[in-house]
Amino acid sequence: MEHRIIGCGNAARGDDAAGLLVVRQLRAWGADALEHSGEGLSLMESWRGHDAVIVIDAVVTGLAPGAVTVWDGREAPVIRDGGRSTHAFGVAEAVELARVLGRLPARLLIYGIEGRGFDLGSAPSPEVVAAAEHLAQRLFRD
Amino acid sequence: MNGRTRTIRVETLARVEGEGALTIKLTGDRVTDVKLRIFEPPRFFEAFLKGRHYSEAADIVARICGICPIAYQMSALHAMERALGIRIDPAVRLLRRLFYCGEWIESHALHVYMLHAPDFLGYQDAIQMARDHRAVVEQGLRLKKIGNRVVRLLGGREIHPVSAAVGGFYKTPAKSALRELEEDLQWAIEASLATVKLVAGFEFPDFEQDYEFVALSHPEEYPFNEGRLVSNRGLNIDAAEYEDHFVEQHVKHSNALHSVVRGRGSYLVGPLARFNLNFDRLPALAREAAQAAGLAPPVKNPFRSIVVRAVELVFACVEALRVVREYEPPPKPYTEAAPRSGVGQAITEAPRGILYHRYALDENGLIVTARIVPPTSQNQKRIEEDLREFAAQVAAWPLEEATWKCEQAIRNYDPCISCATHFLRVNVERE
Repeated sequence: MEHRIIGCGNAARGDDAAGLLVVRQLRAWGADALEHSGEGLSLMESWRGHDAVIVIDAVVTGLAPGAVTVWDGREAPVIRDGGRSTHAFGVAEAVELARVLGRLPARLLIYGIEGRGFDLGSAPSPEVVAAAEHLAQRLFRD
Repeated sequence: MNGRTRTIRVETLARVEGEGALTIKLTGDRVTDVKLRIFEPPRFFEAFLKGRHYSEAADIVARICGICPIAYQMSALHAMERALGIRIDPAVRLLRRLFYCGEWIESHALHVYMLHAPDFLGYQDAIQMARDHRAVVEQGLRLKKIGNRVVRLLGGREIHPVSAAVGGFYKTPAKSALRELEEDLQWAIEASLATVKLVAGFEFPDFEQDYEFVALSHPEEYPFNEGRLVSNRGLNIDAAEYEDHFVEQHVKHSNALHSVVRGRGSYLVGPLARFNLNFDRLPALAREAAQAAGLAPPVKNPFRSIVVRAVELVFACVEALRVVREYEPPPKPYTEAAPRSGVGQAITEAPRGILYHRYALDENGLIVTARIVPPTSQNQKRIEEDLREFAAQVAAWPLEEATWKCEQAIRNYDPCISCATHFLRVNVERE
């Protein structure tokens, strides 16, 4: 199936760039993929009209840096571990709002790449760079 | 509460370096400490800009914030144009107003509907709210999308727009392209009027503060890119004088700096300040909507900022439609100028308040120094002071409820944490 691939993040924020690194790699190989800031509402717009969507984002779940977790967005809530998001409307909020409004794509996979450092101006850590490359290969093959 | 010490703490998990946190200490019903660390100044970008050509700055600074890249571009471009002595074409000026309208519509719709309204309607977040108020959320989404459309049309793309240039735009749109926005904007005006009505019906805590409001002021227009910087305490200066009147102080508990008016202290920037200082320059439709909503300047209750944001949505939609109808493409997309050494300062009104940029250029047009003061860092001290007062009002409440109310008090300012990183979660801890 033709997937819409969307990588989220901020390139100036260390490991937050994880999703963007995957997209850039895919594009370098000639695949179609979209860079996105991760702002939730426009993210919902960016998958509109696509039946199969893959979103890649940096996450912090407590695993080792570079670890990749996959969530099926159609299944139970994504990355909402009891904490409340107060000021940002991000990827997890986009998925949950889309679920309520019936705007989820028929297939939605979310790949989370575990990040470690998010300092402004820092480079992504080697584990995240390697994980992004590896994930890009996997998605490219599929 | 018998003198027991309780701590209200709001913090980001992902930013392991420990920035981005709120801690309020209550001893009994007394507030004993408030520490807020929500925003670090963009020192990295200031350093990164050094040695770059003036033409590169707008694209670099657009990456500071995913929500308000246009604001960063506008302040950078106007500062460069002042340093280089460029006068922009009136049509370019008009287009830039439209560009800014798009960003205000996006940013205000996001904040009013998705981040702030749930507080007043008693929901944990917009997702919970959407279950019961689907039409409201759909309206907010459509408004936001229209803002995106305006930004995309002028910026080439929604995220990190690339078309704005020193002296104008790299490419200006055809008249017909702007005309295509007309229908959407007509809908958006009606929707934003409905927004004012909706949020005016919310209940607001009884909380007023004596603020120094600081905003741009233009003789004929509600301000975006031009005007003098004024306040309700007599400030009236040109952007070039900003650093004579505003200073940043290091704060012990934080890496961040607190911006203060020299000799006076904290001040407030953003919708309340703009509205209070420029009410008579709002279009009639926005003024009438404000009056019907019971708003009259000076509005001193920060919780009512959601209504003021909605009024500014009306303004942005009306102004956007005006530009779309009046626009005639400029003879050339941008005005060029020879590089020269010089300094340029500019202030523009980002959705969250004034954004100051200063650049010094050498004779080749390379950046020697850059200085950026974003609105949230200017509001930071004022937010902390609000919390000090407000926490006392809710100190006797159950901890979770008090925490929620304090978060709401921070949200009054729509602090741009998105600039920092898009992770943000809240923890409530007891001591």
